[in-house]
Amino acid sequence: MSELAARKRSDADSGTHVKARWVGRIGFGILYLILGILAVIQIYPLLWLFLFSLKTNQEVFGMSPFALPQNPQWGNYPKVWSQGHINLYFLNSVWYTVAAVVLTIVLASFVTFAITRMHWKLSKLVLGLFIIGLMIPLHSTLIPLFNFFKHVNLIDNPLSVILSYTAFNLPVTIMILLGFYQAIPREIEEAGVIDGCSVHRIFFRIVLPLTTPVIATTAIINMIYNWNEFVFVNTFISSDRWKTLTVGVNNFVGQYLTDWGAIGATLMISIIPILVAFLLLSNRIVEGLAAGSVKG
Amino acid sequence: MLKKKALPIMLAVLLMMSFALAGCGSSANNADGSNAASGGQTVIKFMHLWPEGSSKAQYTIVNDIIQDYEKQHPDVKIQTEILGNDQYREKLKVLASSNELPDVGMTWSDGFLKPYVEGQLFTPLDDVIDANLKDAFIPGVKESYAIDGKTYGMPLELNISYIFYNKEIFKKYNLQVPKTYTEFKNIVNTLNQNGVIPAAVGNKEGWPGSFWFMYLADRIGGPTILTDVIQGKRSFNDPDILKAATEVQNLVDMNTFEKGNSGLSNDEAKGYFMNEQAAMFLTATWELPNYTTSKDVPQEFKDKIGYFKFPLYEGGKGTDINSYVGGPGVGLFVADHSQVKEQAKDFAAFLVKEWGNKSVTDAGVIPATKVDTADKKLDPMYVEILKDLNGASNVTTYFDTQASPNVAELHHDLIAALFGKQITPQQFVDQTAAALAEEKQ
Amino acid sequence: MKAVMSNRAAIAMYVLPALLLIMIIIYVPLVLTGYYGMMDWKGFAPMKFIGFGNYNKLIHDSMFWKSTYHSVLLGIFSTLSLFIYLAVSMVLASRIKGANLFRKIYLIPMLLSSVAIAQLWSKIYDPANGMLNNLLMAFGVENPPLWLSDPNIVLYSIFVPIVWQYAGFYIIIYYAALKNVSEEVVEAATIDGATAWQVATRVKLPLIAPVFKVTIILALVGSLKYFDLIFVMTGGGPNHASEVMASYMYGEAFSKYNFGYGSAIGFALLVICLLMTWLIRKLTASNEDVQY
Repeated sequence: MSELAARKRSDADSGTHVKARWVGRIGFGILYLILGILAVIQIYPLLWLFLFSLKTNQEVFGMSPFALPQNPQWGNYPKVWSQGHINLYFLNSVWYTVAAVVLTIVLASFVTFAITRMHWKLSKLVLGLFIIGLMIPLHSTLIPLFNFFKHVNLIDNPLSVILSYTAFNLPVTIMILLGFYQAIPREIEEAGVIDGCSVHRIFFRIVLPLTTPVIATTAIINMIYNWNEFVFVNTFISSDRWKTLTVGVNNFVGQYLTDWGAIGATLMISIIPILVAFLLLSNRIVEGLAAGSVKG
Repeated sequence: MLKKKALPIMLAVLLMMSFALAGCGSSANNADGSNAASGGQTVIKFMHLWPEGSSKAQYTIVNDIIQDYEKQHPDVKIQTEILGNDQYREKLKVLASSNELPDVGMTWSDGFLKPYVEGQLFTPLDDVIDANLKDAFIPGVKESYAIDGKTYGMPLELNISYIFYNKEIFKKYNLQVPKTYTEFKNIVNTLNQNGVIPAAVGNKEGWPGSFWFMYLADRIGGPTILTDVIQGKRSFNDPDILKAATEVQNLVDMNTFEKGNSGLSNDEAKGYFMNEQAAMFLTATWELPNYTTSKDVPQEFKDKIGYFKFPLYEGGKGTDINSYVGGPGVGLFVADHSQVKEQAKDFAAFLVKEWGNKSVTDAGVIPATKVDTADKKLDPMYVEILKDLNGASNVTTYFDTQASPNVAELHHDLIAALFGKQITPQQFVDQTAAALAEEKQ
Repeated sequence: MKAVMSNRAAIAMYVLPALLLIMIIIYVPLVLTGYYGMMDWKGFAPMKFIGFGNYNKLIHDSMFWKSTYHSVLLGIFSTLSLFIYLAVSMVLASRIKGANLFRKIYLIPMLLSSVAIAQLWSKIYDPANGMLNNLLMAFGVENPPLWLSDPNIVLYSIFVPIVWQYAGFYIIIYYAALKNVSEEVVEAATIDGATAWQVATRVKLPLIAPVFKVTIILALVGSLKYFDLIFVMTGGGPNHASEVMASYMYGEAFSKYNFGYGSAIGFALLVICLLMTWLIRKLTASNEDVQY
């Protein structure tokens, strides 16, 4: 570090202050320009989706994707709400997602804590088992899993979906948590041990609060995965009352004809709750830091 | 501060919730899992692929039929599960692997049906057809669902393919409906000179391009050529088939189709026709509502659309313009393991019969059963096409429908490659012939 | 310290529930996949044991190797793109004005489901009506590329939306990691006279190295088993030009009813993932000691 500082000082001494500031200004200008362009590119899909949801099939194909709908099909919205059974599926999506996200994060935090902070022989092996869990292609598991759920009578039961989401997201979640747990200074729990805390107290009172930013991060990631998933729901669930929004989208894909505008409207409706949840959780990534550093 | 305590509490609640759910879920499952539900009611599970969202007309007809059936049979309850097209196919396979097929469901004919029959998952339906639907079907359609003389599916739909065209564009460039292939090629040239895409085709999934190939094979090699290939009477490596494939590439060279068609889905390609960028579209009668009754399509567009039969190829063996390429769409199967098999068969037959009465008028779908047009108010295009059907000399079932799933998939890939000029016509016939030969062993 | 942190009951309580869950839901199907891989099976109808027949076929199946090559290529592209995401995250995590807003906007596409993304990009790539080609033609390009139907470029065309789709995923992880770097360390370096650039590269980067290594594995494994957009946008075509391992497996198992062979491909995919992960861990092991 001192070597760095020395070099920095010699740079400053060479008397290029004014020039450097100019370069800095221009650099910042360019940076903001790039950031601005990127922001437009990244927000455009949302706008596109909105326009898409107001188009007829004829406009969706053929017309320039930039084009505004000639005669906005607001009717797509009430249509999907009733015909697509979106009203029914909406709540299912919400509570499957919430349940699976909470379960995944709690279980993953437990495991990561035990693997990174506690001492036991098999920890590496167990970690390996979780990482391998990342590697199986989803479609290989469909038939075996269906059979399994059939045997334990969980077909057409939300639990089969929630448990599958949790299991399949555990490996990713653990891996993301891993890097963060490794970065927590050991002194923190040493202090806890000296104060006479139990393991549980160290975990729940000291370590877990420190990881709020990464919990928010993994919560966002898990939430998006679960919210948009449909292969499991489609396979394990058969009654309408247990289906989710993503299945609702498929209600507009016909044997020969597909109602694209309605698909757009369903996608638009389904993105709103997750957008709100995302904006709320997103703030936590920063907030957690402040809380954490106070503790530390 | 709150959060710290909240976590363990949430976990506890969640675990309890899970157990509670598991508990109530499984007990509920036991109740309706066995088909004989309480009160001596027979429950028939029925799975179909006409969701209200995309296929409202079909959905409504089926629902009405179910209600009628339940009214006539108060002791029977029909439990439906409805999925979108792709999801339906995928789920059917998973259900079959666990021997959990619904009592009644939808199947496609020939190649799709065969593995299920071989796995003894579908039950023969000849008795119920003879009792309720004798001579009701258009000749030859039911046979697509037959293996070794037994019928395993009752067809609901029948589609045949035509070239639909934009009358206004044709008029603008003074074009007449072609009777011969040479006339057709002249039309292509004229349209190209005027910067209009002659025909739209989307080959991402392969089958739309196959329509062109199949018609050329029919016109060049005679109406039975592709069926003969499937039955092993002729080889795919036949000079006539090679010639058909070569003609496909000639069409591509003449810029008959929109650029980049091998990366476009059928829906995307259809957009070119619906937006009048392309003058022709070779497709099947399932598109008819878009040209006649659909409320989503402007009337002025619908008024512009006409159709013609695929032109005859000079010197070809297929000399009858009334020979079509087409095929049954979906039909009904009854699961072999079903505990309410007889009731299920009865319901399926009822559905097919009623469907035949209602589908043309209410959904614009041509049923596989004979239709009496006299007492129905129909769009002229339907009347004409139903008349064509009666006068059809032959309907060759789509090659990919007849072939095994393996060969069908290969065929789709090769068609896309043929249109994209990634392979030569010779390679096209050789590779297909090889796959067919491998299967024979 | 040791005694508390090696409390067996606590370890069991923390690890067993999750372990049990993945054992049942992931490992049972995984083992069965290996088992089905040794069968001639259509998914229904009786199975026939054929030993390593499927694997033998696999080794000689040029289509399988082509799809593997494509998947590995996607893995490489995804891994390389991580550096861009890292750079973006570093800008967003720095204290420039509006960073908070930019971050939220940048992550929005991540919320879209694959169905929506596939639709969007099909509109971008459409040969005549697409945004991209309209733009190119406006600039005077006469024959713009046929993005999704030219077998020579389709693979790269399809990589772009895939890589873009995951941008938010990695940016959010890096962002959280960068924000997690203790303020004290940064302050100490600043007092020592380090510039913002130096703080970023010499202080922050090494501290988030463990996270970066994890994301390499996630990107690689995620790419190797990638399926969604390929399946929806090109179906692996034209003529397998954009086929990847997972789409090939799906085609065999679900479109062609070769469930036995499909399972063998699934199992091979797993083995390849394992090999690659092992390789990555070996390659990055040298900096294992960055921890505090």
